[in-house]
Amino acid sequence: MIDPTVHPFGKKMRIHERLIESTLFAFALLSIVITLGIAIILIRESYLFFSDPEVELWGFLTGREWQPMIGRFGFLPLLNATLTTSVIAMALGIPVGLFVAIYLSEYASDKTRGILKPVLEVLAGIPTIVYGYFALTFMTPLLRSIFGMETVEIYNTASAGLVIGILVLPMIATMAEDAIGAVPKELRLAAYALGGTKMETTFKVVIPAALSGLSATFLLALSRAIGETMIVALAAGAGPNLTFSPFEAAETITGYIVRISGGDVSYNSVDYNSIFALGLILFLITFTLNMISRKISRMFHQEYE
Amino acid sequence: MRKLIVLILALAALAPLVAGGAQEKAQPAAAGSSLAWIEGPSVHGLPGVNPLKVTGNIITAGSSTVFPLSERMAERFKEEGYSGNITIDSIGSGAGFERFTVAGETDIANASRGIKAKEIENAKKIGRTPIEFRVGTDALAVTVSKANTFLKSVTKEELAKIFSTAQMWSDVNPAWPAQPIQRFIPGTDSGTFDYFAEEVFESNAEPLLAASNLQLSEDDNILVQGIKGSPYAIGFFGYAYYAENEAALNIAAIEGIEATAANVDNGTYPLARPLFIYSDAQIMREKPQVAAFIDFYLSYVNEEVVDVGYFPANEDVIQKGRAAWLEAMKGMY
Repeated sequence: MIDPTVHPFGKKMRIHERLIESTLFAFALLSIVITLGIAIILIRESYLFFSDPEVELWGFLTGREWQPMIGRFGFLPLLNATLTTSVIAMALGIPVGLFVAIYLSEYASDKTRGILKPVLEVLAGIPTIVYGYFALTFMTPLLRSIFGMETVEIYNTASAGLVIGILVLPMIATMAEDAIGAVPKELRLAAYALGGTKMETTFKVVIPAALSGLSATFLLALSRAIGETMIVALAAGAGPNLTFSPFEAAETITGYIVRISGGDVSYNSVDYNSIFALGLILFLITFTLNMISRKISRMFHQEYE
Repeated sequence: MRKLIVLILALAALAPLVAGGAQEKAQPAAAGSSLAWIEGPSVHGLPGVNPLKVTGNIITAGSSTVFPLSERMAERFKEEGYSGNITIDSIGSGAGFERFTVAGETDIANASRGIKAKEIENAKKIGRTPIEFRVGTDALAVTVSKANTFLKSVTKEELAKIFSTAQMWSDVNPAWPAQPIQRFIPGTDSGTFDYFAEEVFESNAEPLLAASNLQLSEDDNILVQGIKGSPYAIGFFGYAYYAENEAALNIAAIEGIEATAANVDNGTYPLARPLFIYSDAQIMREKPQVAAFIDFYLSYVNEEVVDVGYFPANEDVIQKGRAAWLEAMKGMY
């Protein structure tokens, strides 16, 4: 290791270098301070919610009805809707994203990759509100024409989930491609040397070797899907509903937060405070997922020499 | 040498950040309190307004029902020459009063219900005394999709069942289909919600909120979309949103009485209700643009209100608002 404060040639660090270094450090510190600030505000405001005599933690975590205006504080309907949309999104995003990544890194010629990658990046650059209207005006009518107007409600979690799947697709594809690309060439060559076909090499050697990176990718995509707001606010529904049918309307955690903060209730009421408690839960969920994803990528990370 | 260049570049990149702070302070001073915009003959007793001479911004927020009307008046105000910015947030009457009486962020509150005693009290705490201006009348519209063939007229009693405990349409009336009711209603802070709870549920919102298959939104267009979406959906909102979507929606008669101008005027339509805007004398005196806009609003609202989809208020009550305006501005011109 080289000591960063000492110049490699033994000269003393110049003053402007110190200046640059401390500026950069200040910016790095800023991002930590902001995260901490968000966490503190969320905790403080959620305390207001949980200290309300009407709210009990157990009832909050296990209750099946959410309607804070009339004292029903069970957040399961919201959680259930969030999980439904996220699972649907992952069911579409993971296989498609993975196959795109495999194709890009193992099969595609440089020329096709040169076309495909920018297209994927364009997909990643579309604002989520556009995706939201895409869900409402394209995906929902499509689902309704396939499964029937009677079965599929106008606002439904399936439509929102599928479009979130499309939203996270480029993210999964790019990150998975990086993970697959990081598998050393020697491993592939060794597989070929043992008589493996291209398919066998890809699926039996390369993918298992990239597993740590891939699982981390999937978890990050999942936490992105859980936090997605605009699409569900527009297409999933605007009322809490505990249902397992993806064709029914149900409001997700983020959908509820956006509806309430959009002026639905007055400040300092229990429903207004509830959005901070829900925000905290959301923060904890995505935070845990990110931690697990880091842990996995470290645990299964294999060193190739 | 290269490092020096890097340093200079880095500093150059940071410079605007530092300078930006200083520039923002140089905002234009608030408009003077002169009433230069008073011009031309008076209209219905209020001084004539020349929007060309009105300067400064106006901030309003409140009812989504009043929103289309205020928006129309603001558009006309701009067409006739007003060059400032007028914000109209459609966030529900309650939230509108909240911003007007607690946070004190807005100049005008739009409301589809009268102000509550508690809200007046809050306003007093920040030194505001709300003045009420009646601008029109709404007939709350209970609507279903055009594809709905069974609901033509509904009684208040049936409404109470439809929007609370009934699961299926057939639970309310055996002649109706055995299909689940899908409900689309305005959010809990809207005046429309309050009004409906008051008229149909005697102010107890609990059964209304406890209903299954319930979707709430402050955005009436989301409700319209939802109701259009299924023959078994039902919802309610201000008449203007029905008028705008007449092609896709059917309006139900209440107790056999249809929402026509005549029925709203003579008070027989059971769900007719007043629309208001609120301001405060001190705001109107300090921000002449607010006084000008309200003057303009009260002078010409009856020329626009029908086109927006509402019904004109009784001339007497509008006149009361005009008198309140004159009272608030006494001695200023």
